[in-house]
This record gives sequence, C-alpha cells and structure tokens, in this order.
Amino acid sequence: MTADPYGKRVRELFARPDHAGDLEKPSARVQIDDQGVRIALAVQCDGDIIDRLRFRVWGCPHALAAAEAVCREFEGRPVSALQAFSANEIMQTLPVPREKLGRILILEDAVRSLGQGARVSPDAGEDTD
Amino acid sequence: MSNIAEMVYLDYAASTPADPRVVDVMTPLFGAGGDFANPSSGHTAGRRSSAHVERAAGQLAELLGCKEEQLVWTSGATESDNLAIVGAARYRADRGRHLITMPTEHKAVADVFHVLEKRGFEVSWLRPDDTGVLDPANLEAAIRPDTQLVSIMQVNNETGVIQDIEALGALCRERDVLFHVDAAQSVGKLPLALASLPVDLLSTTAHKVYGPKGIGALYIADRPGCHVEPLIYGGGQQGGRRPGTLAVPLIAGFGEAARIARCEMQENHEHLRSLRERLWSGIRDLDGIVRNGSDSHSFPGILNVSIEDVEGESLLLALEPLCVATGSACNSTSQEPSSVLRALGRSDLLAQSAIRFSFGRPTTSAEVDLAVARYREAVARLRDIAPGRAA
Repeated sequence: MTADPYGKRVRELFARPDHAGDLEKPSARVQIDDQGVRIALAVQCDGDIIDRLRFRVWGCPHALAAAEAVCREFEGRPVSALQAFSANEIMQTLPVPREKLGRILILEDAVRSLGQGARVSPDAGEDTD
Repeated sequence: MSNIAEMVYLDYAASTPADPRVVDVMTPLFGAGGDFANPSSGHTAGRRSSAHVERAAGQLAELLGCKEEQLVWTSGATESDNLAIVGAARYRADRGRHLITMPTEHKAVADVFHVLEKRGFEVSWLRPDDTGVLDPANLEAAIRPDTQLVSIMQVNNETGVIQDIEALGALCRERDVLFHVDAAQSVGKLPLALASLPVDLLSTTAHKVYGPKGIGALYIADRPGCHVEPLIYGGGQQGGRRPGTLAVPLIAGFGEAARIARCEMQENHEHLRSLRERLWSGIRDLDGIVRNGSDSHSFPGILNVSIEDVEGESLLLALEPLCVATGSACNSTSQEPSSVLRALGRSDLLAQSAIRFSFGRPTTSAEVDLAVARYREAVARLRDIAPGRAA
C-alpha cells in the first residue's frame, strides 16, 4: 500500500484548524508570500505572555497543519519564545517531506517576525477582548 | 486507509473494477482443473487454451472493427505505446527521423518521444488550442518529407478532450506517414471502425474498460510500410512482434470486457453524460471556477475543473472521502502543475488547483451529489482559511 503522505497528526490538524482566523486588535501581525505558500499570523499579548495566536494559510496541507500546530503550541508562552522558534520543532513532530522544508522555513520566518513585532509594539499587552 | 465502502470512487479514468462477468470468465483459467496450459503447445490442453485466446481476439477485433490477426497482445497501454512508437521509429529510421506528437499526450507517449529525441530523432510538439483540440491544419503544416510517425491520443486522460483522429489520420495517409493513436481512454467507450479509419497503430488496455490489469493490445494495420520492430526477443510468439507466453486468463478477461463494452456502449455513454452534467450543474456557479477542456469535443466520463484562490493539494485532501485525481494518476505524486493544462494556457496556480472527476458504470447520482456538496464545502473552507493577497 502506498504510504499516507500526511499521517494521523497532519490530518487531525488539517481537519480541525481551530486557530484559523483573525484577531480584531492584534499586538502584531505579519504576512509572507513565498515558496508557494502564503502565511498570515496575528498575535495578541497579555504583558509578555502570548494570549491568543491566529493564522491564515494558502498552501499545502503540511503548511496549514504546521501553522495550526504553532498556534496551539505557543499560546500561554512568553512572547520571546516566538523569536526563538525553529522549523526543526515542526519537522520533529510532523511528518513533513523534505521537499516541503522551504515552506516550513517560511513559517519560521513568519513566527520570528511576529515575535519581533510583538516585542516592539506599543499595543503589546492591551486587552482587546 | 479507510474502508473501501466509505470511499466515493470518482477516478474511473485511472482504472475501473473488473466486471463480475469478466471475473467469471477468467477464474476457471488459473487452476489445475481449468485451461491453464501454454497456448503455444500443440497438445490438447494447449489447443484448449489457445481457443480462449482466439475467442478473445475475435471479441476485441469486433469492438475495434478490425481483423484478429492485426492485434498484438501486450501488458497494457504503456507497452503498446512504446512498441508502436519506438518500434515504428526504428523500422522507418532509414527513411527519415522526424516525428510529431503533442505536449498533452500521456507520459506513456510523451516520455517515449523524449527518449527518442535523445537518440537522434527530431520531434515536433504541436500545441492545441485553449480547449485542448488540435487543428488539423497545424498538423498538415508540421509534416515534412522526412516525417515518419505522428502520435495523437483520441481521448485525453486528464480533460476528456476528443481529437478528430479521422481528419488527422487522413493527412498522415496522404503523406505516407504512420499514424499512431493512444486509445487507452476511448476503446470501449467511443465507437471505432478501424477498417475504415486512417489509423496505422492503436494502443489500448483492458483495465480502463472493466477488464483486468496487466493486459493490453496494439493494433497494427496491414498495409505496406506499416510495421514495428520488436522491443523484446525470444520465443517467436505473436509472429515475433511481441514474444513471450500469452497470459490466457487476462486475455480472456479482456475479450469479455470488450464484448460487454460493445453491447452496452450507448447505454453507458448516456449514463456518463447525465452524471457529468449533474456534477457541472452543481458547481458551475462557484466564483472563479474554470472547466478545463472542450465542451463540444469531449468524452462525457471526465470533468476537469480548476478554481481560483484554492490550493490544489489541500483541496484534494479536503475532498476526502472522494477519490479523485489532480492530474494523471500515474503522475499524482508529483507536485508539478499538469503539463496538459499548462499547454491549454492555464497559469501554474490554476493548473495546480485542477481536479479530475471521472465516472463509471457503477457511479450513482447520489455519489455525484455528494461530490458536489463536498467540493463546494472544501472550496469555501479553504478560501475562508486563506489570507488575502498582500497589497
């Protein structure tokens, strides 16, 4: 039987992208369009803590699943964690084929940029709920 | 993988299930109690096996409108294409080394021409119009004094577009150029009368027409200058054109599949047409949807659509449990946009979003309705997740 190119984890994240969407008043927002994928991320912070993360993706199932995984992973963590994010974290937990590494690196760029934006944003920490 | 009963199979252009009547014909030919003997053997058991081959040849010849002795059994359409193209190019190489085909051909044809280009043959690649149809005038202009072979498929496996093989073949016949047709998608689905068509070589396969996998045939017209050099040697079966022990059960199954196809062709055609129109009617109002291929020159068993602002691989996954194709099934692991759709002028993004729905005898209206609902839902969901383009 031909191997499933996605696996259970990618399928679950793809089927339930709970963090897909926007934030009304984000602390920072970033969008990158490259390597056959378009990724938008938005973060809302409570002090130095990531309160909410949202994504939008135009791309393959792996890119979509990776963005959802990042959002699930980073809510509740310090903003500084975003800047320290590495694509390796995704590659170790999701079965992403090597030929799609470029797309995960685009996500890495987006997450780090988002972290940088959140740290310098004067709105960081503002409660928008 | 989920249970087969949970799937909705709409990929009949890739392969069809064997008809139960075909299985019934084949099954007794495998075991010790049946006609398992080598059909080339002269003893009683061999002659009994040979009778099954002869019957099947008659059934396929009747479907194709040709003579039994004009058929060579192969392992499938890919081998038939290779034997026709390489065999004919080699046989006529001393007359000239110019060949003609199209970029919209199946890989089983296109890749053979790429190999021949590396071996010193010159190939002209004729482009179709934006619906996929080749204007015979373009072929006429491309034929040169040293042209030896033209290969054009009858029904395109991705779009269902039908080429006018009668007009194209007539041009070849006028100029004494061999004309090969890959008919993997058309045999048993469209009427053919090879005795009166200007076709010299025609490839077909059983598994696209509810026969078994692993068996195909090549038609070779018996006229001067029409011959193929064999690709393999040893044994001398089939006049040496394709030696090797004949696969009697598979051949018998192909024969039965051909018989059924001939008897039920018109009924199946109407069934497929109604399913395709039902599906297209259900999705044609979607914003940014594009139908790939010709409305007027197409086989009704295939509907190929692209849609703007939706990524193709995610669309394919979101469509599960529909079993559909993004392009040629033989090439479905590739992420490259379809060369067929790019030849029709589609952008890379639009070609990459293409989905091929293909219907078969077992397809029901309820399955098509599910496909409509699933496609609309998947498109809406993926568009909702996608970000807008940066200003």
